[in-house]
Amino acid sequence: MVKVYSISNCPWCDKVKKYLKAKQIDFTEYNIEEDEAARDMCYKISGDLTVPVTTIDGKAFVVSFDKAKLDELLGL
Amino acid sequence: MNIYDFTVKTNKGIEKSLADYKGEVLLIVNTASKCGFTPQYKELQELYMKYKDQGFTVLGFPSNQFAGQEPGTNEEVAQFCQYNYGVTFPLFEKGDVRGENAQPLFQYLTEQKKFKGFDSAHPIASRLLGALQEKSPKFLDGDSIKWNFTKFLVARDGTVSGRYEPTTSPLQMAGDIEKLL
Repeated sequence: MVKVYSISNCPWCDKVKKYLKAKQIDFTEYNIEEDEAARDMCYKISGDLTVPVTTIDGKAFVVSFDKAKLDELLGL
Repeated sequence: MNIYDFTVKTNKGIEKSLADYKGEVLLIVNTASKCGFTPQYKELQELYMKYKDQGFTVLGFPSNQFAGQEPGTNEEVAQFCQYNYGVTFPLFEKGDVRGENAQPLFQYLTEQKKFKGFDSAHPIASRLLGALQEKSPKFLDGDSIKWNFTKFLVARDGTVSGRYEPTTSPLQMAGDIEKLL
């Protein structure tokens, strides 16, 4: 399952989500402002609290809305 | 009047006298909403972690006064937001840092250290200047705070030793901080 770590009012998070939807990719969103466990996980994955972070396995990840890197991560 | 005469409120609403920081080197900064185009939290946190054991701290004052004037984003600008409280240095109550309702601390800081222009070598400098000229030309008048992440260094004796515009990244200040420690 694709996971997107986000915060509210984050235009780049919205873009990633829209992009995934347009590509018909299911994902789960974790708002790190509201979910402390998700915040820790996000930090563990990327070493920072910068969002959006997109990952599948919690190892490879893409920070920000970067289409080329997202395509690579998701095998598009 | 000196820096230790000011009382501010923490982000928990508790009054805090800056006299509590007497003898420390301070970096006072107006932080921005999480999606500012130059989030500098990470580097501020790095400085804090690096020097805090030597009597250094960062004091962050959130203000969203500049949100409406954000320069247009494009590919060169980082396309991410930062979780606001990913930092462990003290953050204070959100408030104005410029204009009629500016917090007295920031009025004092900007009186002590004047605006000397942006560092034109910084990749966002020209865009930032352009956005301000177009959307908020008044912001460019005088010595007021121009933008998020304007940083002031305060020496151990309370002297305001430097002002650094948003176009100076926190890590570029390391040398100046070390001189004061």
